[in-house]
Amino acid sequence: MRMKIAVAAMAVAIAGSASAQDAYVVGITSALTGPPASTYAPAMEALRIYIDRVNTNGGINGKKVNLVLLDDSAEPSKAAANMKRLTTQDEAILLINASLSSTYAPTIGEAKRASIPLLFAGGVCPNEVYPPADPLQFCTTAYAATFDSRGALTFVKETAKGEVTLGLAAMAIPLSRGEMEFAQKIAPEFGFKVAGLEVIPPPTPDYTPFATKLKDAGANWVFSWAPWVTQVRTFEALRRLDWKNDYLTWAHLEAEGELQRLKDQKLFVIGANSLYQDNLPIHQEIREAVKKAGAKYPAEQMSEGWIAGMVIEAALKGAGWPATPAKVQESMQALKVDLKGLRGGPIEWTKDNHFRTKQFYRVYRWDDAKKAIVVAKDWYSFDVK
Amino acid sequence: MSRVPPRTSGYFRTGYGQDFRLIETRWRRVSAALFSLALLVFPFLVGGYYLDLANQVFLASIGALSLMLLTGYAGQISLGHAGLLAAGAFTVGILFKEWNAPFWIALPAAAFVGAMLGVVFGLPSLRLRGLYLAISTLALHFVVVYVGGEYQTERGDYTGIIIDAPSLFGYSIVSPRLWYFVLLFFAAAALFICINLLRSRTGRAWRALRSNETVAAALGIGVAWNKLLAFVISSAMTAVAGALFAYYRGFVSVEAFSLFLTIQYVAMIIIGGMGYLLGAVLGAVFVTLLPYAIEAIMSALPGAQAYAGIIFAVNYAAFGLVMILFLVFEPLGLVGIWHRLQNYFQQWPFKNRPLAGSK
Amino acid sequence: MQLAINIIVLAAIYALIACGYVMIYRVSRVLNLAHGELMMFCSYLLLTTASMFGGHPVVAIVAALVLSLLVGAFVYVFLMRRMTGEMVLAAVLTTIALGVLIRGIAILFWSAQQQYPITRLGFSNMTFALPGGGRISLFAALLIATTALVYGALFLFLRFGRWGIRMRAAGQNPLLAAQRGVSLHAVYALTWSLATLTGALAGILISLDSGLDATMVTIGLKAFPAALVGGLDSLAGALLGALIIAFAEVMMIHYVDPLLSDVVPFLVLIAMLVVRPWGLFGTKEELDRV
Repeated sequence: MRMKIAVAAMAVAIAGSASAQDAYVVGITSALTGPPASTYAPAMEALRIYIDRVNTNGGINGKKVNLVLLDDSAEPSKAAANMKRLTTQDEAILLINASLSSTYAPTIGEAKRASIPLLFAGGVCPNEVYPPADPLQFCTTAYAATFDSRGALTFVKETAKGEVTLGLAAMAIPLSRGEMEFAQKIAPEFGFKVAGLEVIPPPTPDYTPFATKLKDAGANWVFSWAPWVTQVRTFEALRRLDWKNDYLTWAHLEAEGELQRLKDQKLFVIGANSLYQDNLPIHQEIREAVKKAGAKYPAEQMSEGWIAGMVIEAALKGAGWPATPAKVQESMQALKVDLKGLRGGPIEWTKDNHFRTKQFYRVYRWDDAKKAIVVAKDWYSFDVK
Repeated sequence: MSRVPPRTSGYFRTGYGQDFRLIETRWRRVSAALFSLALLVFPFLVGGYYLDLANQVFLASIGALSLMLLTGYAGQISLGHAGLLAAGAFTVGILFKEWNAPFWIALPAAAFVGAMLGVVFGLPSLRLRGLYLAISTLALHFVVVYVGGEYQTERGDYTGIIIDAPSLFGYSIVSPRLWYFVLLFFAAAALFICINLLRSRTGRAWRALRSNETVAAALGIGVAWNKLLAFVISSAMTAVAGALFAYYRGFVSVEAFSLFLTIQYVAMIIIGGMGYLLGAVLGAVFVTLLPYAIEAIMSALPGAQAYAGIIFAVNYAAFGLVMILFLVFEPLGLVGIWHRLQNYFQQWPFKNRPLAGSK
Repeated sequence: MQLAINIIVLAAIYALIACGYVMIYRVSRVLNLAHGELMMFCSYLLLTTASMFGGHPVVAIVAALVLSLLVGAFVYVFLMRRMTGEMVLAAVLTTIALGVLIRGIAILFWSAQQQYPITRLGFSNMTFALPGGGRISLFAALLIATTALVYGALFLFLRFGRWGIRMRAAGQNPLLAAQRGVSLHAVYALTWSLATLTGALAGILISLDSGLDATMVTIGLKAFPAALVGGLDSLAGALLGALIIAFAEVMMIHYVDPLLSDVVPFLVLIAMLVVRPWGLFGTKEELDRV
């Protein structure tokens, strides 16, 4: 607690004096509040806890890290204003965007104008981080467009017994729709028949009509890649209609808790982060840190932010002191961070690939016999070219 | 009468030529000159952050002025403001994306699209009044936003359409300072258009419409024509504001045009003071800067980082609260407060005291 | 058959929310655009009472409903009362501002996360099959029953109850009613309480059925066209309007394009405004002819 006040006081003091700083300044614009906050706020809380710990242990290269965390409520104009402030007033050497994709364009514009590397942590990775990558944009987020669908359909192909009639459920936001349309396109490659693609507007009181359509079309597998609320409500609606087949969906932050709540053996979640029931040493480490910091969010939702913290630490370490944005960028272009089991493999960045060289997936489900979450398919990867 | 005392209250016009003057007294002339000078010097004195705030205020004031024309003067309640802003922004986005249209084509095109939409938004006003008109504009807003969203998805612009900086006479308008002057020009132009429109026949017709439609019709004012005109002009201006907004942010995305945006603009004209152009400007300043002020206050408190998560909620709550306070206690808005302030100083040392027994 | 069930469930949801709009408009001619937010707020109150009365779910629900009555009266006494007599637009804008305020407060007290009151209360949402091949969940069925009950109760109350008659009188002619000794403030406060209660019932049942988060506000807004199509001051109209809109929406999802289902209520609304602005059963208001 005292550390938090100290860091805060330092942040205020440093923010006040726009000149000489004796710390690494990392600027963040994030959707801490607003409708999509439940995705990004836990990640930023985890990042804060991680950096606080780093600072307590002496900092990086002997210097503390100053996180300037600004809320943009997923509004593009606020994100742009935040970026302007971070680049001009706070003099950040590394920028982070943990917000909705609608805030990307203004943040990218500002980062480019100020030539400061921009890391996306929590929001979907923009196209520019895939090879050939834009020099300034990097991404640590777990989920990835097109790769996720491939990973998911690969799993379905391996696990399904017999003919697969695939149903797809998306939320009526461009990202989810686009991904599900992509899945629809590649389904024939796997030999699947597509029962239908349901695009569901977010504020729907009753998901039953959409589930009815999927059920009537005879889907025996349903894959959904959307914000968790759409995924889980479609699933629950299908179950209420007495649809007893398999449902595969993306493992968002809430997945672990929800698997335990729903206790359904045919609900599979595919994700890039390992679940905490694996109880690896790193999970215990995170649990302890979270408990000590008295965080608002459960430890299971902290992976994304913790990974971002590890990457930032490595990047700043590589940049040395005194650090400039150019040095940080250079450090990030040849970065390899061991995630200690939080993901299937390390995060590896090269000059051309700012996403990662291999994208790993794992599939979990609930097991009634063991009364626990088990691994349905262990780590498998796709090369990112 | 050529020698008018510097600060007066009264009517001193003695010739038709003087009727056209915007500024009558010497005091007003001097303060207007000082204010313009301050506006012109401002960008050279402050950093990028405050320049961005000023730019946002200018953008907001154009939209607020157009809404004030429609609702404050012509009396047509419109809750579809965000839809019109979206229309202007999407026009620019689509023209840029599909045909790489330059600034000086896209902006008038946006105005044109706004005008056309204004006809659509205005048609219900011929049959409906008050609440029902507001509801119809609300419904139209949802339809416009839906169409915009469909376009974005069809074209695969999930994260929004990115627009290049506009270029005028070969200069690319990118730096905040340059934007400041461009937006200052547009805001001032909008303000003068509004002032002149209101001093003209159309403005008088609108005022009559707002007071009492039946009497206006009896006086020979074309009710349908003037209502549609109000919608068309206001929508054209709003679309231009949306287009400028798109150029300034460099991108267009449907998520930015929610119902809350409409509520913000309505709050601007209410908090500013309905029926006064100054109210639109003051309201724009107030509503735009309120969130930043709250953030500044909250970050000055101890334990600031812990509050970062709830600033949004505090903003929302404060916004609603301020709007309620103005609606309940100060129906004339900031302009009312301004006038009271002016009266106080003008009548000093006399005070405005209500008659005994009247409250 | 499942289609028919879906339509009836959706219609019940819209009808229960719509009767809140109708009641307030009928009695005080104010359009309460904060209804969605009040609905959400009361559903969140259920979360709190569920934690307070841990082992007694029924007590928690009753407590939440009582609180919602108080919230409605509170809103009227401290806010809307000052708006009586002012321009209608000012009153509507006040409700909009109130909605914004409530949204902020809700996020401040309960985070923006997805909540499941049903687990807090310890219920489980069973489904059972119906003759004809359809299935319906427990809470959806409860919702339909509640809507029917609420409407029946309201009809009887407004027709025969003493305060119901007073409410109708205040709605028809406030001046005359006041001169006959009807306390307008009391009537309005009662109306706001009852409207908030029905909204809370709707919100609670929806959140028990499928979960609670801030998007409930938009659901409240989507029910508004149901109220308008039927006539803003007619309860029977609200029922019919809800049926029409639910029918259009489910048909649109099933046969045309699920995405359009979001806009359908507003398209129906526009169509209604063009053809018959005062709704199917509403009283004809003063409107211009061109």
